[in-house]
Amino acid sequence: MKINTLIDKTILLLLAAIISATALGQTRITGEVTSSLGSPVPSAAIVLKGTTAGTTADSLGRFSFTVALKGPQTLQVSSLGFKTYSEKIVLSDTVLTVLITLPDAANDLEEVTVSAGSFEASDKAKGASLTPIDAYTVAGNGGDIANALRSLPGSQQIGEREGLFVRGGTNEETKQFIDGILLKNPNYTSVPGIMQPARLNLFLFKGVLFNTGGYSALYGQAMSSALILESIDMPEKSAANFSVFPSNLGAGFQHLAKSNRSSFGGGIAYTNLHPYNSIIPQKPDYYRGPEYINANANVRLKTGKDGIIKVYLAYAESTIGMRNADVDSVSLKSDFRLKSRNIYGTLSYRDELGSNWRLDAGATYSYNQDDIQTQLLNLQNDPVSIASSPFDSKNAAHITTSDFAQGRVVLTRNFERNQSLRFGGEHFYFRDRWNYNQKITPLTDHLSAAFAESDIRISENIAARVGARLEYSSLLRKATLAPRASVGYRIARGEQLNFAYGIFYQKPENVYLYQNRDLNSSNAEHYVLNYSKKANNRFFRTEIYYKKYKNLIRTYPGLSNDGTGYAKGIELFWRDKKTVKNLDYWVTYTYLDSKRNYLNYPESIRPAFTTPHTFTVAIKRFFQNINTSVNVSYSYATGRPYYDIRPGNDDATNIYDSGKASPYSALNLHVAHLMKLFKKSKIKDFSGFAFGVNNLLGTRQIFGYNYSYNGQYKTPVTLPATRTYFIGVFMSLGVDRTDDLLDNNL
Amino acid sequence: MKKLTLSIILLACTCLITWAQTSGNTPLDGVVKKLDQAKTVADYQSLEKTFVQIGNAAKTDWLPYYYAAFCNAKTGFLLQDDGEKIEPFSVKGEAQIKKSESLADKADKKALAEIYVVQSMIYRTKVFINPMTMGREFGTLSDQFLKKAQALDPENPRGMYVQAWTKFYTPKLWGGDKGLAKELAGKVSQQLSNVVFSTAPHWGKAESDALLK
Repeated sequence: MKINTLIDKTILLLLAAIISATALGQTRITGEVTSSLGSPVPSAAIVLKGTTAGTTADSLGRFSFTVALKGPQTLQVSSLGFKTYSEKIVLSDTVLTVLITLPDAANDLEEVTVSAGSFEASDKAKGASLTPIDAYTVAGNGGDIANALRSLPGSQQIGEREGLFVRGGTNEETKQFIDGILLKNPNYTSVPGIMQPARLNLFLFKGVLFNTGGYSALYGQAMSSALILESIDMPEKSAANFSVFPSNLGAGFQHLAKSNRSSFGGGIAYTNLHPYNSIIPQKPDYYRGPEYINANANVRLKTGKDGIIKVYLAYAESTIGMRNADVDSVSLKSDFRLKSRNIYGTLSYRDELGSNWRLDAGATYSYNQDDIQTQLLNLQNDPVSIASSPFDSKNAAHITTSDFAQGRVVLTRNFERNQSLRFGGEHFYFRDRWNYNQKITPLTDHLSAAFAESDIRISENIAARVGARLEYSSLLRKATLAPRASVGYRIARGEQLNFAYGIFYQKPENVYLYQNRDLNSSNAEHYVLNYSKKANNRFFRTEIYYKKYKNLIRTYPGLSNDGTGYAKGIELFWRDKKTVKNLDYWVTYTYLDSKRNYLNYPESIRPAFTTPHTFTVAIKRFFQNINTSVNVSYSYATGRPYYDIRPGNDDATNIYDSGKASPYSALNLHVAHLMKLFKKSKIKDFSGFAFGVNNLLGTRQIFGYNYSYNGQYKTPVTLPATRTYFIGVFMSLGVDRTDDLLDNNL
Repeated sequence: MKKLTLSIILLACTCLITWAQTSGNTPLDGVVKKLDQAKTVADYQSLEKTFVQIGNAAKTDWLPYYYAAFCNAKTGFLLQDDGEKIEPFSVKGEAQIKKSESLADKADKKALAEIYVVQSMIYRTKVFINPMTMGREFGTLSDQFLKKAQALDPENPRGMYVQAWTKFYTPKLWGGDKGLAKELAGKVSQQLSNVVFSTAPHWGKAESDALLK
């Protein structure tokens, strides 16, 4: 009945329209504007191109207007969020009825993004963009996200130390953040000359944003680079996994509630390299370990409609005892002993507040204790003590304890067209105690920060991100204000030009603050220009940058902030998943020109952790017929400079010797074979075995040299063993991890 | 009064005819005939627009949206090596096939089976966007919709074709079977070898023949 009335009404209206139009000798244009699925588009603008004739559609998408024009015309219809639609019509004294389907704008046009200085590996990646798994499966990364990212442009190949050395910065100048929270000790405590593994499992993260410059105002205290990690929400299924490698045992499980609204899980891992080291000889004479123990637990809870709380707790310890030849005397050895303990707990909360607001909050606490003992030994490994320099300082005991806590709140207000405003604050608490031969030096700092940042769409093809960060350190008693800005310009579909600028502050390392608190933050100013193009499962990206360092720490003649430096360079990245079927590879090239005058440097020189040319290749291939994946990575870097810098007779230091170490060249291979062990069982198992070799070609790597106190002797810094091998089996019950490989080929 | 009603109806008819003519709509018949000849992304995308227009005009017919979604599924399959480009077509296709399902008669098992076959293909195109990250979720959904379709109409040749495609491209260890794939494709090809034209779904021969090559 109701519908009939409506039809009658419409007919009457149409009738009236026809009559009036004909009566006046004009054309009446009526019609309806709908979206691609037939729903009405209200308020669409309808015009005859090149004329002033037109109207606006009503709330049902209907329109009607009269024109006195005749002949062929173009009807143009537009509305926000849709592509403008044109249709040729012919006007002739009658009623013309048109039905218009407006094409969606968002569907065909990818939004312009702001991406200078950052490499994103996200679970939303398309085509040849990186996913976290792409990063994790780079051969030779040893389960460390920072190592995995060394195969991307911008980072240096530093074989003797963990962490990321980005664009002329040290590993201390790159910080890792998880859900906005600083991860204070991403790796096990440093051991001189030997890279230490990561504490956290890679698979905890679903998103990795590797910022090599110009990063967001939401993060601070990292002069060179921020590695921003996003933790996974709920696990997909309940699952358990085991792995047995000769030097490493691991087990873990995840339990997902039936409602999918909560989960808990845990894992333990034990690594002892002693048996391995007794087969494969190592350069330091390890008499203890290296041994690593890790236990962790997690709980995740959904709250309300969109909220989620995530808790992660971990305990980790490492034990190492090793003897090396002493650099100052052939008849002596030096003993290094480390025991480290670390407790780490983090809690994050995320929720939508109404339709336009979002809250991200987090808190963390960590405790770290490092007991380090150094001792001179004679050739029979008996302790000796020599009262004269340089030997008198070689018998020492350091105990460093640190408490760290952070609280952080970020509010985001979303606006139309992906625009948003984010603001918030955070507070860091650092309490460090350095006990050197029973003499305790305390250090406490409260560092507060407030930040705001906005994403703005300037036009359809230009987006900008503008922000600022204000920090105050109670220890330095100084405030810093850091502006950040970034612009993205879309040249064409999948092709963008980006620019970023920012100032990045970082307070001096504790080792200097223990000696002198009257220091300032160091800072770096970044300028980044980036071009990227994605198409056909291929991705090309190039970036040029300039960085200026100010207020770097100088240690000679006194501790000061007078250090300066710069870094500039160009980087290339090319990934191709298309040319060869089932083969995925990427190639990078990094050019870096950097000089610093800091620490005890007598002049502006190229720092020992930088080299001009670095080249990396990562290749991945899955052989379907034999269910085997083969990953290969290769890196080549020109030799790094090394120096013998010591105080001279005058008031300055001198470079008594310098040179260039041999080039770095490493080929890593990782092979995994997948299989099902229990084919008939109800529980799905996804198992396999894997083996790998790092530095397969056995290239002798010399990273630099250690000099004796008088410069007469130098010993090369090299790998503990030329090659590293691993082999083992793994099994996962419940979750099909192998799908990741399999689906790649579907 | 009767006269008035009659004249109104007459006028209304004229209006409707004008409507149809001026908005450039061609009857479903001709467009489906064109679809049978379509080969390239451009072909399918131009037909998709026409199907959407027919769907929006008819408002209650499931077929035009079904065909629009099918055009997007085919586009996704043609672009399967270009993950960057597929997403908009998958998104459109998913919305269209859901719209089609909402218009279909829930008692018409055969129609629903046709719809779920295309929905299965749409989810497969989502896997192409990035198998590594989308594979697990959408590969599973694709399989589920295919099973749903085959449960409703086990003899549907298009369901059989999608099954053949999946068997063909899945590695052996995970249930792939190239022999079975060819057998199924052969069956489909034979079943569809002398189809009488109608607007009802009848595609699948060319696709199956491609698997048999």
